[in-house]
Parts: sequence; C-alpha cells; structure tokens
Amino acid sequence: MAPSMAPGDFVIVNRWSYKLGKPAEGDVVVLRDPENPGGHLVKRIASLATSGGYFVVGDNLEASRDSRAFGPIAKDLIVGRVWRHVKP
Amino acid sequence: MSLLHTLFRGFDRVRPAPVARAHCDIPCGIYDPHHAQLAAHTVIRMNLLIRDLKHPGPEATLEQKMEFHAKLGRYVATKEQHAEIVKHEIRVLWGDYFKPEHVQANPGLHDLVFRTMKAASKARQEINLAAAEDLLKVTNEIAEIFWKTKNIPTARVKAPYATERETVVPKLG
Repeated sequence: MAPSMAPGDFVIVNRWSYKLGKPAEGDVVVLRDPENPGGHLVKRIASLATSGGYFVVGDNLEASRDSRAFGPIAKDLIVGRVWRHVKP
Repeated sequence: MSLLHTLFRGFDRVRPAPVARAHCDIPCGIYDPHHAQLAAHTVIRMNLLIRDLKHPGPEATLEQKMEFHAKLGRYVATKEQHAEIVKHEIRVLWGDYFKPEHVQANPGLHDLVFRTMKAASKARQEINLAAAEDLLKVTNEIAEIFWKTKNIPTARVKAPYATERETVVPKLG
C-alpha cells in the first residue's frame, strides 16, 4: 500500500463498519487473504464487481498482488474498514 | 516516533495483533530491461571477438595454440552465459513486472517474449552474429514496451560499447 502505508504501521479496524453499510470505492479495508488461509491483507476498494464481489487493489500498483490476480472478493472476506492508521 | 505508535508497539509485544500484509510480492517494484540489453550486447561482442580471433596455424607453438583455445573457450562460455542472462531477465520482467493491462495495451508482448526466448537460445547455441543481432533487436523492443508502460519516452541511440549497435534508452528527467 505504498506510499500511503509502510511496513510496521498499525491500523485499527472497525469490524462493524459494513454490518449495515456497504464498502464504498476508496475505502481502505482489511480482508482475509483469499490465497493464504489465516493471512490478512490491507487493500483499497476499487469498485463493486458485476458479480456482487468487490475489486480490491493495492496503492502500489506495480508491486501489489490484489484482485487483478485473485479476482473480486466476497463481502464476507472483508474484516472491516481501516478506521485509524498509526505511523511511527 | 509518535507516542501513539510507541504505545501500540508496547501493546503489540504483550498481545500481538494479526498482521495485515499489503504486498504478496517484493514491494519495491524495481525492474529495468537494462540488464537484458547489456547481456544482448555482450553476446554480439563475443561473436565479434570470435570472428576476429586468428587461428594460430599448423606451425604455431604449443603456447600459441593454447592461447587460441583458451580465448575461444572463454568467448564461447561468456556468449552462452549472457544469452542465458537475457532469458532470465526477460522472464523476470514477463512474470513479475508486466501486468494484464500492459499486455492489453501491447497485444504483441507475449509473442515478443516467446521470440526473445527462441532468439536467445539460437544465439547461445550458435556462433552466429546475425542471431546475436536479432536477440538485441527483440530485447530492445521489450525495453521500449517496458518504458512505455511507465510513460517514459525512449530513444534509439548508438550504444557506447564496443558493439556500437543500436540500443533503446529511457529519456529520464
């Protein structure tokens, strides 16, 4: 997620943010890694896919592995919205 | 170091929070076709050196014969090694750097990579200046596509190496 985030930053995630509302384009979210069970990713919502899933991408487009590789993700993979981001 | 971050690091030591990764690949995104181009020039240079190498003839001393064979061996080994470097470097660009949207914008890319692999194999197998020049040609074409994906203009210039062949350079800054 460079340049907005760097290794070692903390994020506080609101797990209830999408219980009522829906993820919006531009939201930074933490999601369960569809390719690595138990792992988490932090990505930005790019768009709502026609399949009803969400297309997520990293800010560092050249190096990010995201929906361009693993496809749109289902809403239930999204843990929550990044509410606060704490840098060193 | 912000106070909040220090506080969080303290919490994290006591009760580690799950890690959310932002990348699943090397995050720095440092790629450049230059290594492949340089290696292609080396393949040409080795062909030129092999071509200009004088056979010592039947009357030559043992030392002269040994020198000839040692030089020929080194040129051939270097030629083969650098043809393989071209293949490695192009594979990295193709596998790690180029994204589906780059291929969409440059529909000939897959075929060009395939032709580069073939050209490199031919240049590796044979003492063949034309094959080496063909390898540089396709490597330059990949370099042009690479810089185009970064919206950086390129120029075809005479390389400042002993090969003096055309090479593609980015117009930076």
